[in-house]
Amino acid sequence: MRWRDPVFFGLILALIPIAAASEEGGVSVRDAWVREMPRGVAMTAGYMVLQNKTSRPQVLVAARSSGFETVTIHHTIAKESMTGMEHAPQIELLPNASLLFAPGGYHLMLSNPKRTLRAGDRVDITLEFRGGLVLPVAYEVRK
Amino acid sequence: MMTAVVLAAMLGAVLLAAVYRENGSQAILLPDQVMTLFPAPKPLAAFAFTDHENRVFDLSRLKGKWSFLFFGYTHCPDICPMTLATLARAHESIAKTTAGAKDVQFVFISVDPSRDTAGKLGEYVTYFDTSFLGVTGSSAQLGNLAGQLGAAYEVAITPGTDNYPVYHTAAVFLVDPRARYHAVFAPPLDAEGISRRFKVLRELEGPKAT
Repeated sequence: MRWRDPVFFGLILALIPIAAASEEGGVSVRDAWVREMPRGVAMTAGYMVLQNKTSRPQVLVAARSSGFETVTIHHTIAKESMTGMEHAPQIELLPNASLLFAPGGYHLMLSNPKRTLRAGDRVDITLEFRGGLVLPVAYEVRK
Repeated sequence: MMTAVVLAAMLGAVLLAAVYRENGSQAILLPDQVMTLFPAPKPLAAFAFTDHENRVFDLSRLKGKWSFLFFGYTHCPDICPMTLATLARAHESIAKTTAGAKDVQFVFISVDPSRDTAGKLGEYVTYFDTSFLGVTGSSAQLGNLAGQLGAAYEVAITPGTDNYPVYHTAAVFLVDPRARYHAVFAPPLDAEGISRRFKVLRELEGPKAT
């Protein structure tokens, strides 16, 4: 029986972490940007396209950045005839799917920036997924 | 029964209302989800706000100009900047017309007067467009004008924290130069959609309105 062959079994075991690692690499972000805001304004928002190219669902549970007092995942929603924001504690990304964080929808709410952000600046935010995957992302400040 | 009648009247108003003209020749009536025009514009009653330069902003400030009104607050990171940026582009497009934008003003009404001081409002609105006005007032006065326009908002002030939720209508209200509530633009808003309809409306209404 081949399964009993220690060399073969060892090879299989050795491959597992590689497979896992390449799956982790399958979560990526593109078109990441943060809105430039007027001077003295305490809030801004971050947007991106979040891509899950793995074959498993991935759950975004938090985002953090040393550049802001708080970073929270928010969703702009309609409530009766009004619009408001709601905290989204977690967002599930389906396997092989993309999720758009865009004005009027999902966004990272960024409060009290530690420095004034101007178009062209770079902001680093780390996205955290369930299971321990962390994804550092560079956001470009845009007007 | 009453509800059905009211609903039918509202639907009728929407269908009759939206006017817009393609190719510049003939005015046609079309149902339109971007702009609802009221067949009988509603004269607004007195209200009193303060603008970002600490001047009184009352009914008289709406006279002689077309006013685009938007309710929001400066701690709003998503919808408000998006809408103000859209209105700035609409303003730019209106300014390029022969009639220009001298008879047009854009007013951001903060429903969060406890955080939005005149200074903060000024920094905020003029960032998007130097001609924009920021105004706010007491909750009674905000309720007064919001009620006249059918604009809803809710501020859940939580003592001890500077971070509380605010809900507000995301529509843009258009008041004509006779201070009558004339039309409303429903979200999602785009600059081209707003400016194109406004230019036609102003052309049709212009001589009567001023």
